[in-house]
Amino acid sequence: MSVETMKVLICDDSILARKKTKTALNQLGVTQVFEASDGEQAIAAYKEHQPDITLMDIVMPKVDGVEALKAILAENPKAKVVMASSVGTQENLKEAIKAGAFDFLQKPISEDQIKALISKAAK
Amino acid sequence: MFTQFFGNYLLNKGLVDTKQLADALAVQKQTRPRLGVLAINAGYMTAEQVDMVHAEQQRVDKRIGDIACDMGFMTHDQVEELLSSQGAAHLQLGQALVNSGAMTNAAFADALNSYKSENSLSDVDFKNGSGAKIDELIRKFYNFSDDSRSAYLTEYIALLFKNIIRFIGDDFTPLAPQKLSEIKTELAAVQKIDGDFSCATVIDAPEKAYLGFASRYAGEELTELDEMAHASCGEFLNLHNGLFTVNVSNEMNTELKLQPQEYLEKGSLSGDISVIPLVFPFGTVLFMAVL
Repeated sequence: MSVETMKVLICDDSILARKKTKTALNQLGVTQVFEASDGEQAIAAYKEHQPDITLMDIVMPKVDGVEALKAILAENPKAKVVMASSVGTQENLKEAIKAGAFDFLQKPISEDQIKALISKAAK
Repeated sequence: MFTQFFGNYLLNKGLVDTKQLADALAVQKQTRPRLGVLAINAGYMTAEQVDMVHAEQQRVDKRIGDIACDMGFMTHDQVEELLSSQGAAHLQLGQALVNSGAMTNAAFADALNSYKSENSLSDVDFKNGSGAKIDELIRKFYNFSDDSRSAYLTEYIALLFKNIIRFIGDDFTPLAPQKLSEIKTELAAVQKIDGDFSCATVIDAPEKAYLGFASRYAGEELTELDEMAHASCGEFLNLHNGLFTVNVSNEMNTELKLQPQEYLEKGSLSGDISVIPLVFPFGTVLFMAVL
């Protein structure tokens, strides 16, 4: 998969977090970036766009990130959903991994972390 | 972190007022401590000797370090050592206060020495800040007892100050904490924590300070009170609370859960409210835990 054709979905209730992540992705050459601001929107956006990678915040309104992850994996068990959260506790990690998360990033997410993630997903 | 509390010490002793301190914080970064302030801090010269050197400099065309050596107050090695250590934040703050006329060299020397002595601090502590000493300072400053809730609050505040220094800047001073049962908020970002340490955490400020804080975190100038400004304050709160829950999970073996942030404009809060006011160059921001 090339970076140019890669589709990424950013799910975060913070417009600032979405903007920063989108900017970093654009700088890496990823132009097909979609956004969702809560868990419900994340599930709907996943179904609509079928992204290659989904970056998922945990603490979100309506439906939280872990529930959205489960719903997306129910839709596509091979979905690459990366949990991106400031709440990187053992419990959260265990829950996300148990639910089938592709990876876990501790916020604040650096551009280097995004770059490494894109490289890993592109393989 | 001791620098931030040093600013509060100056306020509490009545040596400066809030405006003088805020003005000094605003220019602190661009202020290079002069040799006199550095020498006082190192204990190489007294304030009186510094004043004598400055008076001499009015008469002769020489560098201040050379004059201090000529007068036998310092060696050239000591001058060189001081000139290579000009970045210490508490000295930048002190120099900014001396430059503005808010304090004399002598008053600054007395305050600095008293502060170091009362808190058993060295210059290394000012620069690095050991965890145990910071916790002790916070417990003393906020008058916490030794119960379990105090342990959470101490951890919360120590981390808050570290995160503010990391993501917002080190140019702030804590004012005396307050305990309230009700407060009317201006602009507030609120996030609830559930678990053993259940509380609502809040950032509250008038518009100018709220936007100033939001701009610092976003890394761009935010001038409108819009979704981005709220998101920036909310994201800082979420980041800080998230790191707090990680520490609590690792160190206290307790799992806490965060709720999504909410935003209030001209709202009110009630409960057992601990208020931590911090003065920044852009205004005063209140950090609160509502238990």
